[in-house]
Amino acid sequence: MAGIRAEIRAGRRTQTRAEQTRRKQAENFFDYSMLFIVLFLLGFGLVMIYSTSSYSAAMQHDGDSAFFLKRQAMATVIGLFAMIVVANIPYHFWERFATLAYIGSAALIPMVLVPGLRYTANGASRWIKVGPLTIQPAEVAKLGMILFLASLVCKMGKGIRTTKGFFTVLCMPLPICLMIWKITNNLSSAIIVFGIAALMLFVSSPEYKKFIIMGVAGIVGVIALVFLIKGISVSDDMGFRFARILAWLDPEAYANGKGFQTLQALYAIGSGGILGKGLGQSMQKLGFLPEAQNDMIFSIICEELGLFGGIAIILMFLLLIWRFMVIANNASDLFGALLVVGVMGHVAIQVILNIAVVTNTIPNTGISLPFISYGGSAVLFLLIEIGLVLSVARGIRLKDM
Amino acid sequence: MSLKHKTYIRKKIVVTFFLCCTVFLLLCGRLVYLMVVRSEYYTGAAKELHERERKIKAARGRIIDSTGAVLADNRTVCTISVIHNQITEPEKVVKILAEELGLSEEYVAKRVEKYSAIERIKSNVDKATGDKIREYDLDGVKVDEDYKRYYPYESLASKVLGFTGGDNQGIIGLEVIYEEYLKGKEGTILTVTDAKGVEIAEAGEERIEPENGNDLYVSLDINIQSYATQLAMQAMETKEADSVSILVMNPQNGEILAMVNVPEFNLNEPYTLPEGTAEPANQEEKQNLLNQMWRNGCINDTYEPGSTFKIITAAAGLESGAVTVNDKFSCPGYVMVEDRKIRCHKVSGHGAENFVQGTMNSCNPVFVTVGMRIGAERYYDYFKQFGLLTKTGVDLPGEAGTIMHKKEDIGAVELATVSFGQSFQITPIQLATTVSSIVNGGRRVTPHFGVKVVDSEGNVKETLQYGVQNNIVSAETSETMRYILEQVVENGSGKNGYVEGYRIGGKTATSQTLPRGSGRYISSFLGFAPADNPQVLAVAIINNPQGVYYGGQIAAPIVRQLFENILPYLEGIDYNT
Repeated sequence: MAGIRAEIRAGRRTQTRAEQTRRKQAENFFDYSMLFIVLFLLGFGLVMIYSTSSYSAAMQHDGDSAFFLKRQAMATVIGLFAMIVVANIPYHFWERFATLAYIGSAALIPMVLVPGLRYTANGASRWIKVGPLTIQPAEVAKLGMILFLASLVCKMGKGIRTTKGFFTVLCMPLPICLMIWKITNNLSSAIIVFGIAALMLFVSSPEYKKFIIMGVAGIVGVIALVFLIKGISVSDDMGFRFARILAWLDPEAYANGKGFQTLQALYAIGSGGILGKGLGQSMQKLGFLPEAQNDMIFSIICEELGLFGGIAIILMFLLLIWRFMVIANNASDLFGALLVVGVMGHVAIQVILNIAVVTNTIPNTGISLPFISYGGSAVLFLLIEIGLVLSVARGIRLKDM
Repeated sequence: MSLKHKTYIRKKIVVTFFLCCTVFLLLCGRLVYLMVVRSEYYTGAAKELHERERKIKAARGRIIDSTGAVLADNRTVCTISVIHNQITEPEKVVKILAEELGLSEEYVAKRVEKYSAIERIKSNVDKATGDKIREYDLDGVKVDEDYKRYYPYESLASKVLGFTGGDNQGIIGLEVIYEEYLKGKEGTILTVTDAKGVEIAEAGEERIEPENGNDLYVSLDINIQSYATQLAMQAMETKEADSVSILVMNPQNGEILAMVNVPEFNLNEPYTLPEGTAEPANQEEKQNLLNQMWRNGCINDTYEPGSTFKIITAAAGLESGAVTVNDKFSCPGYVMVEDRKIRCHKVSGHGAENFVQGTMNSCNPVFVTVGMRIGAERYYDYFKQFGLLTKTGVDLPGEAGTIMHKKEDIGAVELATVSFGQSFQITPIQLATTVSSIVNGGRRVTPHFGVKVVDSEGNVKETLQYGVQNNIVSAETSETMRYILEQVVENGSGKNGYVEGYRIGGKTATSQTLPRGSGRYISSFLGFAPADNPQVLAVAIINNPQGVYYGGQIAAPIVRQLFENILPYLEGIDYNT
């Protein structure tokens, strides 16, 4: 990390030196606050990954308690490198690959079915393996969708205001979402991709009414569905299919089944109290809470660092989203703004859904916490997205702000 | 294509940001709810999940007789277990454990190889074997000490003492009644474990020491109990009887000195049926047989007392004034009650006799006449006043109640039969208690074993108190009864109970068991000494003797032999210590 900071500092020095010769470039903006927040979250994530995984890693991997830490650190380094590269490429360079990104994502997803490429972990075949690298096509699809939709909306121009344009943007992500859901059996990633698309559409369209109607209809639909499931489940064997919903409503009744992980997460969060047990002192990570270093890492953060730690992390994410907003609002063009909005949607949706799952606010579904959860693909593609945002930020001329 | 032209986009981005803020705020609210409001609940639930409790058994209190002999004790036994993660030399462990514990190597190997927190290999292992295994100092082998109930005298007073089950809880006898005093309080070791149950060393352990049970001192006297058991065994063998019971108590305070019910059973193997028993077909049948074996005849079973009950009729008659000592009777060998002819055991009749002689002869017509004079209602009231309708309150479980006619159902025939001890049933302990109150001056004492409770440091925690009911009969009646009953032994049907040099009172009984004509009898004798100031009262009951079955012939000698031995012995004992 220090190396990167030095590099950034070095970059700044070249900038300051260049200031004297090329004034125009000197007026350009570099968002250090955002970079700091991201680096902080990454560093904090590595600490928490070590804390949550060291005990089980030592048991599973012949005493190598840093097993998960080392892998994640490697992915982070690669990600940071990718981020720097992307940040230094003017983002318009990518616009020409927008359609390719869409087709590429669509093509990559079925690869998880190819026996030679398929990589299975925790009983789910969601990865493809190329050499030493495992990549989750859903992560590629998120980035691809952001790039594709930003480009699409720009090309449409005022067409976005027509009903046809509106529905074109709304429908374009659906095939990808369906593929992610059905082929990789990953509903949560499908929801995230669709959520990113919906947010980009919301921002690029001047409409409010349609979104409010859609939102209200969606909420009413979900509530109706929940009541319906609650009603039929008691007698019907259909109840089995909706076990996840039922376990959400009363995790203690399903303590040994679908409610197990949620309940363990609640034990972790609840037992943290206001000040937490102290870093490294979690009990729930000792095999009680499955996937403690992964989707459920936030509950261990709460257990070890308490309510203060939990809220501090939420605030860090809020700050990050605030930086995204500032950059998007000052982007020199619509394409840049929409790229940032897409990344903002990606991060915001994942943070919200992750914390909502961990606190049993919504039914349990596998969503990782950006920058913090264990997962190489996720951190790599997130950092590429951050690179894009930095690139957009560099396009801002200071006098415009 | 600057963004400035599309101000609505900026606005929407800001709206998005504030939407995020709202949702984040809601999530923070949720966190506050979980981590502040519900914190206590989840902390408790998590603690329960993380902590493993290991019980430390408390030593059960001993049962000690009046001479200081320990009747129920604890023996240290060991439980051998292995902890998979800590084993370094599995082959050696398997070999040594299999050898020392007499188990097959496959059995031990299976447990040693099993991945679990702790795996029990064998429990109830001798301390010597446990110590030997401990000396090998094998990694991952744990030897935990534990207590097991142990009865040094095996079958002595088995049905009185009772035994304990797998959790050291009383199953029958005194072990049940005094459970609260004896059991003590289990201690616990609380350890923190991970999800697999592996203890986390750094977390340390919380230890709550066990509290040992209190010792129970009982009135039983091992010498009297042993001798009575010997006499009972002898009688059972020579008379080929089904069972023999002997009850010895102090009529002044209710302390029971001996209670024998042969055949007894070995308390250290309470689930082993007597030798020669056919293998029971199923579990239920086995349980029935075991229950039969564990029954305490003196308390759990009722019988028709027969002539010994004439003591009660006599006391009621004297107390009510229906009869006096000098009242004259004439026995023709039978008595007519309504249209029924009730025979005396002497078919030719006893002829002219006074009340004392009638009692000495155990003459049925005399007692039928006295019963008639008292009248059904009054007789029933005395029955009740003497405490015969209530349980004695003896400190043993399962005391049977009296089976008696309802007051309104007592006609002349019922009254006549009750008068000489038939057509109703009481327990031997009830008979002994009631007679005690008649000969001790009219105080109905509570028969009991428990004397005092002493904690493991030797401090008396509680001196057990028992209720006494006064004025059961008047002092005069009591004195008269002592005189009459002494006459029974001196010159009457109970002369086989006579012990030279002592004044003995008593009464014999021979009752035919139901159904009549089965040829099954119960012979019994109740005796007390000294007759003028009773200090000890004994009842001997022989169930289904073969050959001679008269109580005066076979039961009275048992009490005589008992008294011959224990009276000199009791005189040497100072009761106040």
